[in-house]
Amino acid sequence: MRMLIQLIITGLALGGVYSLISMGYSLIYKASGLMTFAQGDILTVGAFLGLTFYRFLKLPYIVALLLTMAVAFIIGFLLEKGVIRKLLNKNVNAIYIVLATIAVSYIFQNGAQAIWSSKVEYFPSVFSTDSVAVLGVNVQPESLLCIGASMICMILLHFFMTKTRIGTSMRAAAMDSMAAESCGINVSLNTGITWGIAAGIAAIGGIFIGPMYGVYVTLGSKLGTKGFAGAVMGGYGNMYGAMVGGLLLGLLETLVAGYISSELRNLFAYIILIIFLFVKPTGIFNEQAIQDV
Amino acid sequence: MAPLLELQDFHYYYGNIHTVKGINMKVDEGEMVTIIGANGAGKTTTLQAISGLKEAKGIRGKILFNGKEIQGLSGHRIAAMGLCQVLEGRHVFSKLTVEENLMTGAYLRKDTKNIKDDLKDIYRRFPRLEERRTQLAGTLSGGEQQMLAIGRALINKPKMMLLDEPSLGLAPVIIKEVFKAIREINKEGVTVLFVEQNSKIALNTANRGYVMQVGEVAMEGYCKDLLEDEEVKKAYLGG
Repeated sequence: MRMLIQLIITGLALGGVYSLISMGYSLIYKASGLMTFAQGDILTVGAFLGLTFYRFLKLPYIVALLLTMAVAFIIGFLLEKGVIRKLLNKNVNAIYIVLATIAVSYIFQNGAQAIWSSKVEYFPSVFSTDSVAVLGVNVQPESLLCIGASMICMILLHFFMTKTRIGTSMRAAAMDSMAAESCGINVSLNTGITWGIAAGIAAIGGIFIGPMYGVYVTLGSKLGTKGFAGAVMGGYGNMYGAMVGGLLLGLLETLVAGYISSELRNLFAYIILIIFLFVKPTGIFNEQAIQDV
Repeated sequence: MAPLLELQDFHYYYGNIHTVKGINMKVDEGEMVTIIGANGAGKTTTLQAISGLKEAKGIRGKILFNGKEIQGLSGHRIAAMGLCQVLEGRHVFSKLTVEENLMTGAYLRKDTKNIKDDLKDIYRRFPRLEERRTQLAGTLSGGEQQMLAIGRALINKPKMMLLDEPSLGLAPVIIKEVFKAIREINKEGVTVLFVEQNSKIALNTANRGYVMQVGEVAMEGYCKDLLEDEEVKKAYLGG
């Protein structure tokens, strides 16, 4: 029982980070109709930014978090405006744009290595205590922070997308860009904002997971593919599907690691991805996006 | 007085294909004007180019709205000038509710306090939209979607409304209702330019009309004269 609780908490913490990445994939797919492979490495950049603000510049945690989100937002926005939109305007085939995001992901990865470090950097703990007791089990407080904060992000994103004018206009633009433009919505600006938000939430994932995993240049590329798998499981393009898919994947793979073998966790995660692609490509939330392509 | 909308030697190219071949059009403030013509005559292209929904690089010539050149501006900027289009095929946001669709139409408005009143006004005009205000727009019938598309453009308080094939795919009784609404909107001071394949109802609704044929204006004049014209009768009114 103690082990189960322990695994559930660890799994949800990891799953929360996957969800933050997955949501970015889905938001971008809805807004641009494109897949991006840069999400994971944006998380890496976010983790290093967080490290810089928190460990090196000794800023308060929450300030480091917000600054990281802001910088990542700008990176995502500029990525859309400077690379993606430029290619779209050349009317290139979508596959070239996907390829460009792969190139960008390596640029982020190697850029992080050049700017910061090629070693595993420790991310100082956020709390003064090493462990807290939950239902009689000792857990790292950062994993609770990770669960709580990723949940809060999801709830905030939900309210932003459904209750605010800009959020509703972003959904409208994703559904029908011509109609949105005719309603006076600046669709191009909106798309840039979507990429910015996707980058922002991925980057704070890096800050949440840093204290547990350490910060290193390939941190995000591993998490990024898992986040992608989570997005597919939930229903690619569906924001809520991404939340659920990411959490579920984190939970399942941690349980497999705990009860069967930690060597099987990745194998298991990708087998699940393949099974979903074959059996339920529309994911848990029955999102039709993939069939449309 | 200068016309509210004017096209001067307007051309449109899809790559190398010359689809609209130098047309001139004028719409005065308060008028209701129609463009009729067969499929592929360039009607929709013209309307969408006016609204900034076509690629700017395909446009040659001038489009003037309210005295300003607008050719090549992006769609949201033209909408902000008070020139709003109801698109062919309605293009409602299918997974937003009726009310969210209308609120998206009010996206540009700064006077948020008055939007509620205008929403009521649209519901008074189209009571069926009020009944369905929390329903997803994709679940509405074609006629209701057309009313929603008109309401969505209207709530932006346009000076001029462009409508592309408002009768498309609708039952005759619904078509009547839609055109009654368009006439009312025009009476309330909104200048209207609409494209319509149903030439009979178009010429019986508008004041003036343009007949487009393969990218050119073949004929223009008052609708009452076009209705009597032998060629128009033969080609567009079924003899």
